[in-house]
Amino acid sequence: MIFIIDDDHEMAECIARAVRPNEARIFKDTIAAISALDEGELPSLIFLDILLDGPDGFTFLNELSSYSDTAKIPVVIISSLNLAQKSLENYGVVGVLDKAMMTPKDIQKFVKRELS
Amino acid sequence: MESEVNGILVAAHELKAPLALLRQLAFSLELAEDDVDARKKIQSQMIDISDRAIKQVSDLTKIARLEDGLFDLEPVAIRGVCDEVTAELRHLFRYNHRKLEISYTNRSRLVVANRDLLYSVVYNFCLNAMHYSDEETFSTMSVKDYHDKVRLSVRDFGPSLPTDVWQSLKKGWVEKPTSIAMRPGSSGLGLYIASKFSQYMDANVGAVRHRDGTSFFVDLPISKQASLFS
Repeated sequence: MIFIIDDDHEMAECIARAVRPNEARIFKDTIAAISALDEGELPSLIFLDILLDGPDGFTFLNELSSYSDTAKIPVVIISSLNLAQKSLENYGVVGVLDKAMMTPKDIQKFVKRELS
Repeated sequence: MESEVNGILVAAHELKAPLALLRQLAFSLELAEDDVDARKKIQSQMIDISDRAIKQVSDLTKIARLEDGLFDLEPVAIRGVCDEVTAELRHLFRYNHRKLEISYTNRSRLVVANRDLLYSVVYNFCLNAMHYSDEETFSTMSVKDYHDKVRLSVRDFGPSLPTDVWQSLKKGWVEKPTSIAMRPGSSGLGLYIASKFSQYMDANVGAVRHRDGTSFFVDLPISKQASLFS
């Protein structure tokens, strides 16, 4: 299972199409995603937008890294912000994709690498 | 100058989002090459997104031309404008699992406005309501008599309006698009556009904060020709 957290539903659907045939679950905010994690649903990979309604992506990364069962879930950030992956590696971030310039192949590269 | 640069940055951000999405949808078309239904859905999404982006660019162009006074004010049937906007946006609401309800109680049918500008005000209020409504909730558009004016109001059920935007609206206008970082997902450009157009039409915009959402309203002068209908 792959989690996609993005408040732009159409963009999230595009990412979900790119990760097929892997199953994906879309969340419009981090609160809903954390609820799913609390219920024991642990994804193999998370695609995370940063600027979200409610708690932002950084808050979610903090939450994720503070629990032993979720700390090791790889996260790929998808954002229009220019973020340096190096500074986020301690939060389980394995990649940063530019929302404006990424391609399905970029997304699939991470899926292949992290799920194999 | 700083305000102008900020405005350009916000406008650029707002326009970058639909362009990035169109790009991804174009890739999705390729991925869905064997699925006719999926391709139809994606094509329809691309058209909708392009339409909204073009409308936004067109509104920004109009703002630049407001000073020239090219937009005539005339008696406008406000319900007709609202009906047109809701007809255009209804499927977008449905697609995003939200509803738009309408309530007309105004006896004064005609307001003094520019039809195109009023259309944009209503359109931007509704889009804003859709964005800030929670899933499976409804937004309400109401048109009612309010003292010697007609009040058009759009109420959403979602997060309450940030205090800074509310303070700005208390003065009757939005001076500049809100900082991107303060309102993720939207820069408030739609509200800025609605505010500018309302100012031009001598109409007041404002907002009411609710515990479970926000109402944006515009008070429009009643047309004297309205007396013909009473």
